[in-house]
Amino acid sequence: MTNAEIADQIVTALGEYLKRDRSTIAPGQALRDDLGLDSMATIELLFRIEEVFDLQIPDQDLQHLRTVANVIDYVQARLNPTAASTPSKAAAPGPAKPAPSTSAPTRRATPSKPAPTRAVSRKKPA
Amino acid sequence: MATRVVITGLGVVSPIGIGTGEFWKAALEGRSGISALRPFDGLPLDAYRSRVVGQVLAFNPAQYLDPTQAERVDRYAQFALVASKEAVADAGLRIDREAPHRIGVIVGAGMGGMVMGEREITQLYRSQRPNRVHPNFIPTITLNSASGIVAMMHGAKGPNLTISTACSSSAHAVGQALTAIRAGQADVVLTVGADASITPLVFAGFCSLRALSTGFNDQPERASRPFDRARDGFVMGEGAGALILESLAHAKKRRARIYAEVAGYAATSEAHHMVIPKEDGVEVATTMALALKDAGMTPRQVDYINAHATSTQIGDAVEAKAIRQLFKDRADRLAINATKSLIGHTLGAAGALGAIACALSLQTGQIHPTLNYDDPDPDCALKGISAQAQERRAKVALLNAFGFGSNNAAVVLKAFT
Repeated sequence: MTNAEIADQIVTALGEYLKRDRSTIAPGQALRDDLGLDSMATIELLFRIEEVFDLQIPDQDLQHLRTVANVIDYVQARLNPTAASTPSKAAAPGPAKPAPSTSAPTRRATPSKPAPTRAVSRKKPA
Repeated sequence: MATRVVITGLGVVSPIGIGTGEFWKAALEGRSGISALRPFDGLPLDAYRSRVVGQVLAFNPAQYLDPTQAERVDRYAQFALVASKEAVADAGLRIDREAPHRIGVIVGAGMGGMVMGEREITQLYRSQRPNRVHPNFIPTITLNSASGIVAMMHGAKGPNLTISTACSSSAHAVGQALTAIRAGQADVVLTVGADASITPLVFAGFCSLRALSTGFNDQPERASRPFDRARDGFVMGEGAGALILESLAHAKKRRARIYAEVAGYAATSEAHHMVIPKEDGVEVATTMALALKDAGMTPRQVDYINAHATSTQIGDAVEAKAIRQLFKDRADRLAINATKSLIGHTLGAAGALGAIACALSLQTGQIHPTLNYDDPDPDCALKGISAQAQERRAKVALLNAFGFGSNNAAVVLKAFT
């Protein structure tokens, strides 16, 4: 899956979850302040995204997923860690594969700590 | 003198109508809400011994609720929201103009969020993926999810309680609302009964318990037949009833329309058997007597009984026996009916829907029929049971409700004068 496809699917999932037109969703939007997702709603959204991408998002990564761009970056980094097209320190590469983060070592090897401000300023996707 | 408590608003979600007006019209016309069981996804229908249900077929949550709100709660809580919304509007209650901590919510629910409960359990074992259990699973199945969401919808910040005593849950909710208002804990209580558990597992469980009607699978409308000789078990229903209970002083102050007064309540345990009532009827008679005592009344003052009458052989006979014991020669002068003949046994909603029938009967002088009372069983024959609607200027009504776990409730309602 290309990074553009990932971004597209995330926006689609968000639109479905929020029941709003996907064109009203922009990467720079904050999940809480702009889209109105409380912490429980964010967890539900990520639950959906885990399903879409067959991914497991460890608890310690949740705190970094504050904007739409954060989520896009994060999933791109997890699914395409070596893709050179969108190098971004905002989402440090995860493990070589979208390996299940079920064991503790694997989880620690998913050191995604995107700096929210950087991610917000990104103009992806497309 | 104890604080007087009145009913000022009603709301209904039932197999014979959504909305109190529709429910009451259908009830007086004797329309049945019982239909054939629809197949559960992937399960053989004929493996269910009972195949009749009282379902709310026309229910579309989006018609009444914000879709996001509706999606995040189970079906029984959706019912509770819709019924409470109607009741609050019917009462003309503007909670935003009230002291919010004086407005309580008490919900009776027997089974709770079983739709999601069953779905998630099934998926967990099929998929073997514990990490795919839905994050909203716990908030949904927690038994007080309905009382919580009802309070959130209305901004009611007073006592928020859930009563779960199986089939008597919402009769106790009415009684506990009365108690809370009398105790000065609230001026108004949004009192709701709700259940929606016609689900593959729960329905199978009631089948296995041999509690459900099996002899009328081809004639669903005839299956729920309280006090009739051919009755063979209850018909499982679903729905919600909501009543606004309010101190008389508060109701008068805001010039609310009053349906009836809630005058007395008793809660007892038979301490006898998980699912079978004590056959001599003494415990049921005692419960009714205690409720009347609480209301400061005698059996001679009662005009109408909304019976628990689920259409089981033993349950109906015990209740009839208890009525005869307590009311003696007056027993045959009472108007008696069984709301479950119309809508089946809605479990946690049954008490609230029965209380609504009582309130409307006291207000209108109409007693709805007991469907399928074709061949009176000598074991429970009481002259005031009728397959036809009755005209009766009843002044005092008694509501009975009995639940698994050996528990009984009786509520006394009075025409408001």
